[in-house]
Amino acid sequence: MEPLHKTYLLKSPELPPLIQSPLVHYSTMLKDKLKLPDKARRVFPDRLGSLVSGFNDKEEENEDSASETEVGKELEILLPNASGSGEGSEDDYVEKIEEQRQSGIRQGPEKEGTGLVSVKEVIAADDKRSDLEYELSQMEINLEKLQRIADTGLPEGGGLRATVWKVCKQLLLGYLPPSRDLWEKELSENRQKYSKLKQELLLSPSQFTRIKDESLKSNEQSADNDGDGLLRRHEISQEDHPLSLGKASVWNQYFEHTEISEQIDRDLQRTHPDMKFFSGETSFSRKARPTEEISPTLLIAKVNNKSSFKVNDVMHFYLQEAMRNILLLFSKLNPAIRYVQGMNEVLAPLYYVFSTDPDEQNAVNAEADSFCCFVRLLSDSVDHFCQQLDNSAVGILSTLSRLSELLKANNEELWHHLEVTNKVKPQFYAFRWITLLLTQEFNFQSILRIWDSFLSNPFGVQDMLLRVCCAMLLCIRSRLLSGDFAANLKLLQHYPEINIEYLLQVARDLSPDTSSYRLSL
Amino acid sequence: MVLVLALGDLHVPHRAPDLPAKFKSMLVPGKIQHIICTGNLCIKEVHDYLRTICPDLHIARGEYDEETKYPETKTLTIGQFKLGLCHGHQVIPWGDLDSLAMLQRQLDVDILVTGHTHQFTAYKHEGGVVINPGSATGAHSSITYDVNPSFVLMDIDGLRVVVYVYELIDGEVKVDKIDFKKTTTSHSAH
Repeated sequence: MEPLHKTYLLKSPELPPLIQSPLVHYSTMLKDKLKLPDKARRVFPDRLGSLVSGFNDKEEENEDSASETEVGKELEILLPNASGSGEGSEDDYVEKIEEQRQSGIRQGPEKEGTGLVSVKEVIAADDKRSDLEYELSQMEINLEKLQRIADTGLPEGGGLRATVWKVCKQLLLGYLPPSRDLWEKELSENRQKYSKLKQELLLSPSQFTRIKDESLKSNEQSADNDGDGLLRRHEISQEDHPLSLGKASVWNQYFEHTEISEQIDRDLQRTHPDMKFFSGETSFSRKARPTEEISPTLLIAKVNNKSSFKVNDVMHFYLQEAMRNILLLFSKLNPAIRYVQGMNEVLAPLYYVFSTDPDEQNAVNAEADSFCCFVRLLSDSVDHFCQQLDNSAVGILSTLSRLSELLKANNEELWHHLEVTNKVKPQFYAFRWITLLLTQEFNFQSILRIWDSFLSNPFGVQDMLLRVCCAMLLCIRSRLLSGDFAANLKLLQHYPEINIEYLLQVARDLSPDTSSYRLSL
Repeated sequence: MVLVLALGDLHVPHRAPDLPAKFKSMLVPGKIQHIICTGNLCIKEVHDYLRTICPDLHIARGEYDEETKYPETKTLTIGQFKLGLCHGHQVIPWGDLDSLAMLQRQLDVDILVTGHTHQFTAYKHEGGVVINPGSATGAHSSITYDVNPSFVLMDIDGLRVVVYVYELIDGEVKVDKIDFKKTTTSHSAH
C-alpha cells in the first residue's frame, strides 16, 4: 500500500495556504490553555483524520468524490511518517493542521451554544451524510475513513447509523467485513446461527420432550389414538419428568433459569420507560395480537395487507420478547457471569438502532444482529461483571484506577482535590459509567451520539470510554473544585447536562492513558 | 407449557399422617401453575400446605372433608383444555367408566379428574380422558388396604397434554408418562 500512495504525497503542499490564513493567531492561545505535549497529538491517527474530514465537509464541498478519497489516503501515510520521523516540513504541517482543527472545532461549540442553526451546519450535515453514503457504497470499505467520519457524529435516520455501527463494530471485531459483497453472506450466516442457538437453548422442556417423542415413537402413537380404553403408560427415567431434581434434567435447568428470566423481565420493563419505543403499546399490538406463535416475517407478510400498520409497529410488538431472548441466550452462553442488572441498558441502544432501520430486511432481523453485536460489545468489558476478577489486573477496580491515573495525568489539581481532599473515589461514581457504557448518564440521543464515537475509535471502546469519563470530570472542573464530598458526590452521580460535542472534543484531546497501552482487538 | 398437579384422597390425619417424604421433596413451590384436588384432604392444614406449593388451588368436596364450603364439582379451562373435577363418591358404581363418562358429558369437559377409589387409572373415552390420581398418601380406601401413594402432574402444551404419573412403589418413586392429543373436532350439534 505504501508505494502507491507516496505518489500522492506531492499534492500536499497545496493545502497549507488555505489553512494558514485565518486562524494562526489562535495557536498560541490554545497552546497555553490545553497544556498538552505536542508530541502526544501526533501519535493518534484518528485526530488527524477527523481534521481532514472536517475540512472535507466544509471547504471542499464542491469537489468531486475522487479528490476526497485521495486526500484521505494521503493523510493515512502521513501518520506513520509523522509519528516516527523528524522531517521538518511534515512536522510543521501536522502541527499546524492540528491547531487549525482545534480552533475550528472550538469555535463550533460556541456557535451551537447560541442556539442558532446556521446554514453552514446544515450543509455540513448533508455533506456528512453524502460522505457516509459514498463510503458505504464502495466495494471495499475504507475503515479508517469511515471511523473518522463516524467520530464526528452520525446523522439521524436513513438507517446509516445502523449500518455504520455494524460495520465499525465488526471491522474491529469481525461482524461485517470491509468488502461489501460479503455482507449478504455474513448477515445471513449469522442470522441463521442465531436462530439455531435459540432453538437449542431457549426451548421449553415440553417442546423438547415433544420433539424427542416424535422422533422415537411415531408408530406407537397411532395405536394409542385408535379406540378407547385404558391408556398406555410408558416408563421414563428419573430425569425426564417436570419435578425432577437431577442436575442433568432439562426441566431442572429450565426452572433454574426462570429466576434469571424473571429478573430480565423486570429490568426490561424499566428500560427507558419515557421512550415510546420501549414502553408504550402501539396501536398495532393492541389490535392485532396473534394468538399463536408466529415469526416476524410471516407477521409482516400478513400485516402488509393492512396498510395502516408499518414494519416498525410490528417490530415493537416483538420488542420485549426479542430483548428477553437476547439477554436469556447471553446468560445461558455465559454461565460465569449470567445476567447482571444493567445489561439491558447496554442492549437498548443497539436494539433501537437496528430495529428502526428503514430497510425492512434489516429491521426484521434486528434481534439476531443486535445479539451478535451485543456479544461483541460486551466481550470487551465482560471482565468488569465478574466478581472474582474485581481485584485482578483486568477487573473493574483496575479500570477505575486507570481512570484515576488518566485524570491525574491530565489535571493534577482536580485529581488531588477529588481523591485526597474530598476522598471521592472513582468507585462511587464511575462504576456505573464504565460498566454501563454511560447509558445511564445522558438522554437517549446523546447516548447514541457518544456511542458513535465509542464504536468508531480504532483503539476500542474501552479506551474511548475512559477518555470520555475523564472528560466528564474535566468539564465540570470548576464546580468540583469548589465542592465538598457530599456536593461532589451528588453532582457526579447525577451528571448535569452538557454539550456532547464539546465533551467528546475534550475527550479526544486528552493525553493518553499511560498505565496500560493496549489495543483492544 | 402449563404444569397442573392433580392429587387427592390424602385423609390426613385420620388414615395417614402426611405425604411421603419423597413426594414432599419433589413438590417445590414455583414450578406448578395450578393444583386440582379431588377432595378428602381432610383438614385445613393440608389446604394451607397445598397453597404454599401453588396459589391457584381448586378443590372438590369429598365425603370426609371438614371444610363444607368446597363445591361438589368444578370445571376450569387451562389452555385449550377443559378440565372437570369431582370427588367421585357421588358417581355410582364407584370408579365405573361408563358412569364417569356420563359425568364427563354432563360437565362437558375434555379431561375429568376424579378420585375416591385410591387407585390410579387413566382412560381414554370418546375423545376425552378420565384420570384418577389415586391417593397421595397411600391411605386405605373403603374397598382395599393395598394402596400405593400416587399423584399426577399434567403438562398442558397447546393441544397436547403429557400426563406424568408419580407412584411410590417399595419406597422408590416411579414415574410414568402418558401422551394425549386432543383432536380439534368441534362438538356436533345433536
